[in-house]
Amino acid sequence: MATILTVDDSRSVRTIVAKQVKDLGFEVEEAEDGVQGLSKLGEREYDLVLLDVTMPNLDGPGMLAKMREGGNKTPVIMLTSESKRSVVSGVMKIGIADYILKPFKPEELRAKVLSVLQGEGGAEDVLAVTSEPAAAAPEPAGRVEAGKQFVDVLVVDDMENVHKKLRTMLPAHITLNGVTSAQAALQSCRQRVYRVALVDTEIPDVDSAVLAQQLKVLQPHAAFVALALRTTNDVLGEARAQGFDNVLFKPFSQDNVDDFIGQYFDNLDLLTAEENVLKAAAFTGRADRIDKYYTRIAETFSPALNKVAAACFEDVILDVSVAPTTGDRLAKFLLAAADQAKQVGMRFAVVGGGELQKILNTYTETKELKFYASVSEAQAASQA
Amino acid sequence: MGAEKLSEQLEQIVLKRIAEDSLVLPTLPSVVAKALEVLKDPDVSFKQVGTIIERDPVIAARLLRQATSAAFAGGTKKVTLPEALTRLGAKAVRSLLVEATAQKVFMSRDPKIADSMKRVWQHSVAVATLSRDVLALSGNADSEAAYLAGLLHDVGKPVVAAILLEFERQMTEVYNRPFIDSAEWMAVIARTHRPVGVALAEKWQMPEQVTRCIRDSAEYDNADRASLVNIVCFSNSLAKKTGLYAGTIDADEVDALVMIGRSIIGANDEIIKTLTRGLKERLSNLYD
Repeated sequence: MATILTVDDSRSVRTIVAKQVKDLGFEVEEAEDGVQGLSKLGEREYDLVLLDVTMPNLDGPGMLAKMREGGNKTPVIMLTSESKRSVVSGVMKIGIADYILKPFKPEELRAKVLSVLQGEGGAEDVLAVTSEPAAAAPEPAGRVEAGKQFVDVLVVDDMENVHKKLRTMLPAHITLNGVTSAQAALQSCRQRVYRVALVDTEIPDVDSAVLAQQLKVLQPHAAFVALALRTTNDVLGEARAQGFDNVLFKPFSQDNVDDFIGQYFDNLDLLTAEENVLKAAAFTGRADRIDKYYTRIAETFSPALNKVAAACFEDVILDVSVAPTTGDRLAKFLLAAADQAKQVGMRFAVVGGGELQKILNTYTETKELKFYASVSEAQAASQA
Repeated sequence: MGAEKLSEQLEQIVLKRIAEDSLVLPTLPSVVAKALEVLKDPDVSFKQVGTIIERDPVIAARLLRQATSAAFAGGTKKVTLPEALTRLGAKAVRSLLVEATAQKVFMSRDPKIADSMKRVWQHSVAVATLSRDVLALSGNADSEAAYLAGLLHDVGKPVVAAILLEFERQMTEVYNRPFIDSAEWMAVIARTHRPVGVALAEKWQMPEQVTRCIRDSAEYDNADRASLVNIVCFSNSLAKKTGLYAGTIDADEVDALVMIGRSIIGANDEIIKTLTRGLKERLSNLYD
């Protein structure tokens, strides 16, 4: 368990710091000036020192200098009401891991203590030097900040009918928040975590490109899509030049909305993996969109297969029992999947119903594929 | 004449001209030319004009001044750039731009100095852009005020530079003698720009928070954490750290300002990366 030394001449600050550090599960010891702090450091090793600047007898910079002169490399976070750049610059030169200005929020203290103890001190260069865009389809899992509600879609449009219309065209499991002003959008982005933000390009008195840039600061993992009218201009090109990832045209068509869903949502759940079993999700759209379903599922198969291979399984079992069997798309997909499995050196088996078995027997190329009526049968065969 | 002595004399000259209202301000020809070009279109929106004009702190300051004096004799009301454009109208904006081009073409004979001056403008736009985005962290949508404060925080620099240009011309054209080099030029500007900027802001009755940012944004204000001064101070240090600056930088002090700002503003490493991502590329061709 890590032990932290808090050095501060204010008893109340030491008490607050001690409580926060103990809440994190760490031990804490206290010193009320630099002399006591050095004495404590001479008695035992600490994992981190939280150090005030202005103290009697020996101040923070003085204690820090003596620590470093004596070869003590314990990480130090300055916790101080001193914000003069010359003072902070001076202690940075001697060597600190981070800095917290008093009065401080407990969450800032906890975050910085954890960051330094985990070896992610904040003093290194953190500026972005490239213009890499945000991921087109971000993965919210594991990234949602504690205490913040996750919502799939944010719609920023001054006309409420736009939010209502889109709501009716999205599947019920995709959550949506609609706001009508820049202020409300900023507030919402402070309180929630979004996967995609849709921003109207013509909000009165609002520069949408500027607003999108501001929202990106609050939602660094979200994809940003412009809501725009169809015109003769290169709308997508213009939107991308303004920093958007994509465009969704108004008025909405179900085709466009389905593409939007496919791009930012469906792919994430289209092929689920459990150990070496990959299960294709059911197709729920219109019949003329089956081609798109198979295009997307084919795109997700390759990375999913690589994960199974990376986990050292020898077989991959593809369960397509709820996939649509109309036409030859399923057969083509299975042939391509089997070929990819072969290329990475894995055995390939397919699971489905009687209709699938008929399809496999229809084509010479698919007759050879290993077919099972259930996942358990396929697993038993692979273990035999 | 040493840089210190020159700075003192220059400051006195500029302050006198501001007081007498006889200051001749420089502008970048490319900004004015682009703004005049789009104003030829009778259907042009002020939004389009605004996106060009907001690249030039001097033009922005002049527009604000004119709009403030036209609409509010007392000058106490806060005026943003879009408001200034709307109030003045296309005709008045065009006149102001034409007048600006006639007054001063901002080009030094020394290519290094000419380049440094472009980077002064670029730095102002970088700080303006960052200030606007940093403000969003607090959920505050008053992005125009933050942009303006960032854009004008160094407005004293082009003012001082314009006088230095006069000196340069006199020395090189009249007396046929060399003038100070680009490093000394920037050192003189660094010494004098803040009091000059404050004097200009006060004389022109710019919004109070703009004046505060010009005067105080070299350090953070502990007493008012959410102030624009702190936002501009943090943005200024990020712009410098990103390399969007003209002049000499004390890297240790810039690092210190970024570190203090992370705590005051509540910005973590991820936020800082998002704020600065692609900024240099976006501003690289602003004045071509």
